[in-house]
Amino acid sequence: MHIPDGFLSPQTWLPAWGVAAAAWTWAGRGLARRLDETLVPRLAMLTALAYALGLIMLPLPGGTSGHALGVAVLALVFGVRLAFLAYSGVLLLQALLFGAGGITALGVNALALGLVGALVTVGLYRLLARFGEALAVTVAAFVSLQVSALIVALVLGLQPTIARREDGTPLFFPLGPEITVPAVLLPHLLIGVGEAALTLFVWRLARRKGWVAT
Amino acid sequence: MNRARYCLLGYGLAVLAISFIHQPLWLALGLLTAVLAAGPARWSLLRRALLALLLFNASVSLAYALLAGWRGQPVWAPLLLINLRVLLLVFLGFWLVDRVRLLDALRGWPLLSMVTTLTLGQIAVYRCLLDDFRAAFRSRNPLPPRPVTVLRHAGAQGGALMEKALHGAEQAAQAMRSRGSFDG
Repeated sequence: MHIPDGFLSPQTWLPAWGVAAAAWTWAGRGLARRLDETLVPRLAMLTALAYALGLIMLPLPGGTSGHALGVAVLALVFGVRLAFLAYSGVLLLQALLFGAGGITALGVNALALGLVGALVTVGLYRLLARFGEALAVTVAAFVSLQVSALIVALVLGLQPTIARREDGTPLFFPLGPEITVPAVLLPHLLIGVGEAALTLFVWRLARRKGWVAT
Repeated sequence: MNRARYCLLGYGLAVLAISFIHQPLWLALGLLTAVLAAGPARWSLLRRALLALLLFNASVSLAYALLAGWRGQPVWAPLLLINLRVLLLVFLGFWLVDRVRLLDALRGWPLLSMVTTLTLGQIAVYRCLLDDFRAAFRSRNPLPPRPVTVLRHAGAQGGALMEKALHGAEQAAQAMRSRGSFDG
């Protein structure tokens, strides 16, 4: 569901890059010590899976695309910091190699999908784990996708208010939240079911192999 | 600073400048300049950029055109501005990747370089595995398979695909270990 290049005003993407840079610094601190030849292949495999999922996308009139993310899997297996960093790498590659997403939108996309998605997943999983792991994983994956989608829709929908000419015509993304929120959220309710099923499938595989960090 | 880093810096500055330009004429001139400067690859880059943004921008443009037309607001000027800006940004991104090796440009950031190396390697591994699986599946189904068969195959092969991908990544990580990538 990442936002393409050129849809965000500099009043949005420059501060978002600043916040994302601080978050990347936080996430990367002490990481070199954690990465070894056992963790790195798993990370590479699931990061590539997230990359592949992000390329099977359906454009939505709300200014973004509909697709599964794979962030929930990364967050459950590797924790928030590593999931955020890995997904940021996915967004960078998708932007540069396929024009999916973009450099200007990278900060917002990384924060909304990578950081918030991972935080919501891990938070909900911990909250719901006592009701059963399968339920916790499924609900966490589903809800985290909806929260990320809502943030993306709101950020896009605010653009006509943030950046417009004196006559009111938009300078960047032209549709307001009354369009973006339903246009982005409704398809993601369906996509969320797929995301939850995929997350549960990979989670069970990871549990069997003893990879899980949370 | 190597050439790739200079290109990355130039690209970053161009992206920043483009975000502050709100005149379609200037954006069109910028696009024309970039296309002319891109050399022999210009048409394939332009085609790739157009294809990459076509569906997104068409859906947004159509939605806006309907809404603005209904409200009696200007339609074409904002759409021209937005679409030109997006096309120019995507074209510049593809041109950058065409001209520089991404890993050279990221050389100053070891962690980012490592994650990018591994992800790029895994993408190649996935692509090979998927091609193998697709070819094997076709060879076992002389007639077009039913959707249920395709779904069953996908479920069964999903796990195997991940096992193989993990094996490939482990080999890559061992190779990196033997070259000292995890030392220090």
